[in-house]
Amino acid sequence: MSLSQALSAAISGLQVNQAGLALVAANVANADTPGYIRKTVTQVATAGNGTGISVYMSGVQRELDTYIQSQLRTENSGASYATTRSQALDQLQDVYGTPGSANTLESVYNTFTNSLQALQSSPDDSAARSAVISAAQLLTQQLNQSSNSIQALRGNAELGISSAVTQANDAMTQIAALNQKIAAAGSGNTDSATATLLDQRDSYVDQLSQLMDVKVIKGDNNQISVFTNSGIQLVGTKASQLSFDAQGTIGAGSLWNSDPDKRGVGTLTLVSPTGGSVDLIQSHSIRSGAIAAYLQLRDQDLVQAQNQLDGIASAMASALSDKTTAGDPVTSGLQNGFQVDISGLSAGNKITVNYTDSLTNTAHTITMERVDDPSVLPLANDAAASPNNKVVGIDFSGGMSSVMAQITQALGGTGMVASNPSGNTLQVLDDGAGNICDVTSLTTTKTATTLSSGDVQVPFFTDGTSSYTGAITAQGAQSVGLAGRISVNSALLADPSKLVAFAPGTAVGDSTRPDFLFSQLTSGNMQFSADTGIGTAGQPYSGSISTFLRQVVSAQGETASAASNLKDGQDVVLSSLQQRFNDSSSVNVDQEMANLLTLQNAYAANARVLSTVKQMFDTLIQM
Amino acid sequence: MSVSAVGGQSAVAIAQLVKMRAQYDDLQRQLSTGQKSSTYAGLGLDRGVTVSLNAQLSQMSGYDSTIQTANTRISLMNTALGQMTDITSQVKAAMVQANTTGSNGSGPSLAQQTAQSSLDQIIGLLNTQSGDRYLFSGKATDTPATDTTDHILNGDGSKAGLKQLISERTQADLGADGLGRLAINATSTTSMNMAEDSASPFGFKLASVTTNLTGVNVAGPTGVPASLDIDTTGSTPNDGETLTLRFNMPDGTSQTMTLTATTSTTPSAGQFTIGATDADTATNLQAAITAGVTSLGKTSLTASSAVAASNDFFDADSGNPPMRVDGPPFDTATGMVAGTTANSVIWYTGETGTDSARATATAQIDPSLTVNYGARANEVGFRTLIQNIATLAAVPISGTDPNGRDLSTALNQKLTVNMAGAPGDQTVTNIATDLAGAQTSMQAATARHQQSTATLGDFLQSIQGVSNEEVGTELLALQTRMQASMQTTAMLFQTSLVNYLPK
Repeated sequence: MSLSQALSAAISGLQVNQAGLALVAANVANADTPGYIRKTVTQVATAGNGTGISVYMSGVQRELDTYIQSQLRTENSGASYATTRSQALDQLQDVYGTPGSANTLESVYNTFTNSLQALQSSPDDSAARSAVISAAQLLTQQLNQSSNSIQALRGNAELGISSAVTQANDAMTQIAALNQKIAAAGSGNTDSATATLLDQRDSYVDQLSQLMDVKVIKGDNNQISVFTNSGIQLVGTKASQLSFDAQGTIGAGSLWNSDPDKRGVGTLTLVSPTGGSVDLIQSHSIRSGAIAAYLQLRDQDLVQAQNQLDGIASAMASALSDKTTAGDPVTSGLQNGFQVDISGLSAGNKITVNYTDSLTNTAHTITMERVDDPSVLPLANDAAASPNNKVVGIDFSGGMSSVMAQITQALGGTGMVASNPSGNTLQVLDDGAGNICDVTSLTTTKTATTLSSGDVQVPFFTDGTSSYTGAITAQGAQSVGLAGRISVNSALLADPSKLVAFAPGTAVGDSTRPDFLFSQLTSGNMQFSADTGIGTAGQPYSGSISTFLRQVVSAQGETASAASNLKDGQDVVLSSLQQRFNDSSSVNVDQEMANLLTLQNAYAANARVLSTVKQMFDTLIQM
Repeated sequence: MSVSAVGGQSAVAIAQLVKMRAQYDDLQRQLSTGQKSSTYAGLGLDRGVTVSLNAQLSQMSGYDSTIQTANTRISLMNTALGQMTDITSQVKAAMVQANTTGSNGSGPSLAQQTAQSSLDQIIGLLNTQSGDRYLFSGKATDTPATDTTDHILNGDGSKAGLKQLISERTQADLGADGLGRLAINATSTTSMNMAEDSASPFGFKLASVTTNLTGVNVAGPTGVPASLDIDTTGSTPNDGETLTLRFNMPDGTSQTMTLTATTSTTPSAGQFTIGATDADTATNLQAAITAGVTSLGKTSLTASSAVAASNDFFDADSGNPPMRVDGPPFDTATGMVAGTTANSVIWYTGETGTDSARATATAQIDPSLTVNYGARANEVGFRTLIQNIATLAAVPISGTDPNGRDLSTALNQKLTVNMAGAPGDQTVTNIATDLAGAQTSMQAATARHQQSTATLGDFLQSIQGVSNEEVGTELLALQTRMQASMQTTAMLFQTSLVNYLPK
């Protein structure tokens, strides 16, 4: 032991105190810096010569709870997903309007049916007719506008993905770069500079975790690798890059497809540093975060919302224009069946055969749909919304004999026999004595194309300027995006008297057609496709347009409300995790001030030792 | 997302504050709009119900306005029907009056004047409009139900009216000699023959001849055209014995003419003097028959002819123009021919159809309830009225003709009977009953709707709306909580060791 030892111990104490003071200053200064982790000095006592004791600052400690940090990142992805989706669905709610106000889809629809009620009681009143036309226009405009809004939201999602991809690429590049810098600093005790680099890298990982779900694996030398939860590596020693081919215009028909030729929206590709690439949408690799929310919105939620509007639009058009004619019963020997005229079918119109399989006593339906674009053949069974259904496309271009051959093929294996007794008549008979099947009905559904055909059906709504028949073409089903194009038949706009005059010479006071229109819109039973998200393929939703509208509003409200609840829940989880994280890792000014006092005292004490040693030296020297 | 940017200890506290502020804003919105939420999402599980309720309420209000419209129309129709009944009574009274006033009275012409003005009124009533809608035209609500009174009576240019048809038919029924298309000839000094001049629908049709004149033999009527014989050879009629001829008339009624034997040398109408010889008796009888037939021709036959012509005229519509006498010449015509819309006025101008007239206007007043309240002016009930009143107005009755009074009486009798209609025929009262039934249904529906609307509206309000008291209370409570929270947050921020460090 010597005075000089005490002196050097005091000096080392002063040095450590100063370093501690510097960290307190840095902590207080960064108290509000996002991502800043509280630093403390790691000090170690050293012994020299077996007796001397000094203090040494071994490094800077980041007060980080990695367990909470990884939890926080998972919840960060979840919260970001929930928030993004909830915000977009909130915007979607605006499309459906404020309940009780005049601009909701339901109230516009009700205004339309109401105007038809007025027309029912005053078919001769030209004001009542105009009111029906303008209410119908209002309805189509509302549908058009809603459809546009939905597609605009999809466009926003597309742009959202695009900018998220840019952010993600930036974050991944930075993480890789910081990985290298940290590696260069070497292992061992971290100094203040390295700690700052770690802070920065954590902050970029946090950013990335908001965009997608990530998993961080810690390696040697403070290195990290970032993976998606699905196991695809995003950052190793080098960063992968995401690429996204955002599409400028998005319409109802622009849908994601694994086939690039059929794809109307952008797809997300990850290009690894070695050049390999993987389609992240196809492999369902992104499961959370803002990008997953945008994808969910663009490809599921909003597509479904559009399908629902299209379902309403096509049901409205078909309900008013489609005439279903039941076949006449015929008997030939032991065979029973029906005859029906199949001329005048438009593309998309249907011939429906209902039969019972006598062996299992099961009811079946075969729907034969006219198709003018043979490239779409054969049709899928879900092309028509009806259960237990077999859908067959029939190409009419080859004349009656070709049509009969196709129908015979369609009925093949059922035991039913199709024939063409004369002209355009289709005859379908059961198998007679064999009794393995019974034909229960044979009907045709044809779309009225003129305003005064003598039938009450009227092509009230059109698809832009062409008539709506539900045709399926290479561009897809006509119903897709119909809500954005539906309009009131221009011929009807030009001559509203056709709302009443269903045949030449119909009396002006004849309410037959208004009665039909009203009853079809309020109580006509329609079937809605399962891709509206209401009903299932096995049991499609069937009901009036009004009740379907109710289901739509209900389902959308429920989705938005559930998304909002999820967001609220995530927010709570995230806040409390953040709080816990902050408690352990962020700067508490009080604590720093207390440290400051301690350091001050320690400094004073060390200084006192120094001054005492000096006095002792003085005493020693003056002897 | 949480507020990580603010760092520090307060993430949860600040998130809570933000949330409370949002809640506060929402409560304020609820209070000012009275609506629970501005989106369907915020309405809760019952959001779908609101769509159904709104649809139901909207339909209900649609039904109510339908009822209102229909009610207005039915009320107007009821008023018209009521007035028609009054008018009918007036005409009937005028006819009774005409029959009871003296022979020189102005009764006949007064009755005709009443008929003329009544016809005007009834035509006016049948052309009642509600707004621009004609109520008695069936489905052709844009056209008047009937032509004008002037056209109906007097024709329209080259189109013949009722008077023209009556005139033609009268000529055809009376014949040139006024004997009602009968030939009355002596076949010998003591026998005579009465014969229809042709197998036409016109004039008197011989139905029967009976007598209790002692020794007088009658035979027939037989053959086509029918004829009958009266033989006085060897007869010794006594005073008071009679011979009765019965004729079938153009309007489907029958008319009897009874001649009574008298010893008076100055027989009054309907009597003949028993002659000294058979031949004298025959001569007297023939003269009496001829006089009687002539007189009946000017009265009963003329009236009957007018009724028949009127029946043809009013039993017509645009698809079915009236049957007219095939002429000229009319006095020798032997058949009827269908008129055309070019040569005859079609009195009913509304819609014709085979369906029920009531079904020409319907009001759907409930999802499953439709009431019918249409009417066509050519329904039997209306037609009976207008046809008989028009006939009364159209038949020319001369005030100077001695037969004028009898013609008037005959006509009034027929018209009074016809106006009452055959048992089972529709009357205006039946139509009014139908309409009253519709109105009753509508009243019941309105009451139902009122109740349902109130119930559904309450339900809707309970889903969409808010209770001001509840929101107000919540707002106050929230305000208190917010103030407390802000205060403590502020205190928390102020309480920092920094403030207490030695200066």
